[in-house]
Amino acid sequence: MTRKSRRLWLVVACMIGLGSAAALTLNAFSSNIVFFMAPSQVHAKPPPADRTIRLGGMVVAGSVRREKVKDSPVNLFDVTDGQAAVTVRYEGILPDLFREGQSVVAVGTVSPDGTFRASEVLAKHDETYMPKEVAEELRRSGKWDPRFGKAPDAASWNTMTASDTKKPATPTPDGN
Amino acid sequence: MTHLPYILAAYGLTLGVATVLSVNAAVRLRRARRRLSAIEQPRTRQPS
Amino acid sequence: MNATQSLTARTGNLFHRYANPGRFLRMGAKLQPWLTWPALVLSAAGIVWGLFFSPADWQQGDSVRIMYVHVPTAWLASSGYMGLAVCSLLSLVWRHPLADLAAVEIGPVGAAITAVCLATGSLWGKPMWGTWWVWDARLTSVLVLFFLYLGHIALIRAFDEPQRGYRAAAILGLAGAVDLPIIKFSVQWWNTLHQPDSITVTGAPTMSTSMLWPLGLTTLGFTLGFGAIVLARLRASVMESRIRTILAASRGRQSASPAPQPDSAAV
Repeated sequence: MTRKSRRLWLVVACMIGLGSAAALTLNAFSSNIVFFMAPSQVHAKPPPADRTIRLGGMVVAGSVRREKVKDSPVNLFDVTDGQAAVTVRYEGILPDLFREGQSVVAVGTVSPDGTFRASEVLAKHDETYMPKEVAEELRRSGKWDPRFGKAPDAASWNTMTASDTKKPATPTPDGN
Repeated sequence: MTHLPYILAAYGLTLGVATVLSVNAAVRLRRARRRLSAIEQPRTRQPS
Repeated sequence: MNATQSLTARTGNLFHRYANPGRFLRMGAKLQPWLTWPALVLSAAGIVWGLFFSPADWQQGDSVRIMYVHVPTAWLASSGYMGLAVCSLLSLVWRHPLADLAAVEIGPVGAAITAVCLATGSLWGKPMWGTWWVWDARLTSVLVLFFLYLGHIALIRAFDEPQRGYRAAAILGLAGAVDLPIIKFSVQWWNTLHQPDSITVTGAPTMSTSMLWPLGLTTLGFTLGFGAIVLARLRASVMESRIRTILAASRGRQSASPAPQPDSAAV
């Protein structure tokens, strides 16, 4: 019996040691694990022009401009984290989820004039899952504009979902 | 449906792996049970 | 110290009651249908609901339906490894024979589920994010989990003497459990491309109830299915080891008395 509890304590001690080692390592490398930098971080400490970074934030409503330079589409838009904004220039086709108010991650470099030249733009999805009809209803009634910030709490529109899904008496097996 | 190929691939893969795992487990269990009963029966008769 | 001693002894006795292979086989046979049939019914209901009757997401369109298989496999990848870690603890501290056999059987099932989780996530990421794969904290930590499963599978079968394999694999299994909180909290600790959890213990879910229902069904169904598959494999494994013991014993008897016995000839 003493052998068993000795083994148990040994295992517990090893797990504590391993756990704290992992925690310290992750803490030390925290800045490398972070997937993207926020615009305010880029403003505060601009990275060297030759270093590729990832810039993450929300697309500012009304800031998206599309130009055509020699047949290839050029997109210009501002990305913000609420404190600072960085203009992003991206040549190419944007992902499906790209829209104003959406969170995006752009991969590229900061050019000397302060704009961000992106080689790749990824759309970041948030944790809100909402049926199409509900989103349209919220927008129509003016409760939420997806271009400005996050969707309201699910509890506030869940009753709406239930009544909306019940409205077509026969369950439509997705015509779209 | 939008993105149909991706959806089909995801569901197909999930169901495929689930089927392989279940069938494999069922076959293995049946074979083990048969062999065990074939071996055990003569032995249990022996002492009586 | 005295209290802990009696505690370890008592828990040990509790576990060892189920170490008897005969008792385990009887209990397992009774439990099996209660896992298998609900798993099939719930999974089928959840998949049909998720594929055909749940609404499309306002942004993702129909690709939101990939969630109904991705989230349960992600949950099972982690909780399957949790099971493996518990077996490792039982094996290291209490030398529980059934825990070793269970660890052997959980490994491949967990690895397959983790692979499905990674693949379905990738199939969602390509149309939604615009990329199959990124090295963010969530995706990388789940990939590490997959490699931990593979390492465990290899290590537990690597030795001629099974006990040594069990011991080594149990150490790996426990050490790898460090990855589980990293997976869970990666989306909170670091900014990742992967979205944070929609369903949390403390807060209200940020998901429409019309999508929560099919997700709940597939999660419950897949979890029971995981249990059913592991139980079936474990029962088979216990039977196989019994077969080996019986054959070894009868071979021993045969070599002791060269004259062929009528009973063993019938086998």
